[in-house]
Amino acid sequence: MENQYFHSVILKEDRCIGCTNCLKACPTEAIRVRDGKARIIGERCIDCGECIRLCPNKAKSAVTDSLDIIKRFKYTIAIPSMVLYGQFAGNVGINEMLTAIKRIGFDEVYEAALGIDIISNVISRHILKKPDIRKPLINATCPAILRLIQVRFPELIPNIIDIETPMEITARLAKQEAVRKTGLPMEEIGVIFISPCTARMTSIRNPLGIERSYMDGVVSMKTIYGEILRNLNNGPTENLVRGTKDALLWPIIGGQSVSLGIENYLAVDGIHEVIKVLEEIEMEKLEDLEFFEGMACIGGCVGGPLTLENPFIARSRIRSLAKGLPGNQPTDEAVAHQIRMYEDGFIRLTEKIEPKEITRLDEDIAKSIKKMEMIKEMMKYLPGIDCGVCGAPTCRAFAEDIVKGENQKAICIVKTMENLKNKKNAGNGKEGQNVNQGRE
Amino acid sequence: MEQMKYTFNVEKDDFVLAGQASSNIKKLLRQLGIDSGIIRRLAIATYEAEINIVIHSLGGCIELEIDPSYIRVIAADRGPGIEDIDLAMQEGYSTATDKAREMGFGAGMGLPNMKRNSDRFYVRSEKGKGTVITIEMALKAGA
Repeated sequence: MENQYFHSVILKEDRCIGCTNCLKACPTEAIRVRDGKARIIGERCIDCGECIRLCPNKAKSAVTDSLDIIKRFKYTIAIPSMVLYGQFAGNVGINEMLTAIKRIGFDEVYEAALGIDIISNVISRHILKKPDIRKPLINATCPAILRLIQVRFPELIPNIIDIETPMEITARLAKQEAVRKTGLPMEEIGVIFISPCTARMTSIRNPLGIERSYMDGVVSMKTIYGEILRNLNNGPTENLVRGTKDALLWPIIGGQSVSLGIENYLAVDGIHEVIKVLEEIEMEKLEDLEFFEGMACIGGCVGGPLTLENPFIARSRIRSLAKGLPGNQPTDEAVAHQIRMYEDGFIRLTEKIEPKEITRLDEDIAKSIKKMEMIKEMMKYLPGIDCGVCGAPTCRAFAEDIVKGENQKAICIVKTMENLKNKKNAGNGKEGQNVNQGRE
Repeated sequence: MEQMKYTFNVEKDDFVLAGQASSNIKKLLRQLGIDSGIIRRLAIATYEAEINIVIHSLGGCIELEIDPSYIRVIAADRGPGIEDIDLAMQEGYSTATDKAREMGFGAGMGLPNMKRNSDRFYVRSEKGKGTVITIEMALKAGA
């Protein structure tokens, strides 16, 4: 069992100057600046990668595997996220990219599209037809949104569609096929995901909803980009494309809803907007909504923190590549088999997703109330401008940290300066400001 | 006994801030470690009460009272009051203006929805003076 708080998002200490940019942007208030460096509170982080994206000093980074990981296995399979297709300028075809990946040293390349078509079929032909489902259904493909729901919207956990992610399904099928083909034991076959996403790494090491991932490693799209580029058009191109037009649009916000053919859907991208809409869903304000597609990154997975291309440019490239592909038209027999895989639990979320109470002040309600009273009292004396200089994202977070005993050395500089000024003014015989200005 | 009170002011016709009180209450209760199902129901009921003050009254306030055994929300307003409470408790009955209805409010589900989402629910109203709505949630069995 890996560390319960494993996170792919990490800090490069030497680059961090202790500014307040990440502090303010973190959707779960998981960052504090202590001793001049940003610290990530493991329990709260959902690996959305917001901090990586906006750190002006590039001090936030993600742990991913190096390409050397392929040496650890006798047989290796690469699964590139389809976001990759939007990363190359010019007229590079999908087969050319997939062939280039294989040339790097993989035995096989499987498109994540394989899993997408299966999910699409199972949701539209099976899950949506169940009479007892809780609507709106929420897609679980974005791992950061999955963890967001776990920490902030526990009441919506039952709305999550209990089907595995496209890459996980693809990994399972690819591995099974490789075992059949090579006769090797499963441990000797390595499935490596080429990822635009920080949270994906976390979901392999510390999975949510499943017992164990079939993926063995995650290589960042940024890391492998140069290798692919060097191997493009470096010999004959193999025909490796299996994906459909519909599947290609999944990493683009709205693509899932459209390919599922759901009329009453809502597709929202950007973690802060997703939070606002989930609030509305939790309050039952959005009646008749059938499907909610939420993606933490702007534009969907094309906006992932481990990509190189601008999400809007990537989106336009993927759309034009999709035009040349066939639609998803599975046989009834194939769909029946896919539904069976779901019902048997092979491609399903089989582990219960438990709510995680990250903002709770104390295990005991009476003690929590006492602590809350202390916070309320403290808030009367704090400036309330949420400057972040103390290292907490807001004045309230500053007070909470003190009450929880997580910050013993807490000092509010603004308040200290104000007190000094007042003392000085009083000394000069001038009337001082009211130091104890209440805010309520 | 640990007990605490919070008061939130609600202004007439301020649709920008409407929902702020119930949203703050939701956050507070989450920090206290209250069951998320109770929080959700109370937040829905409180939101309805808050919107009622914004639409129908001249303004008022929402008071939150928390004790380890119960949570009480009192939404009190100054205004016309409710003429016929029994009628107002019927689903679909509404006196909201066209403007409010256009914005999706005033579907006549306010009071019935509040009642459905609370463990105990009381309405007291005096014509020409105002309305006081009390929503209570029990936290422990028998409380």
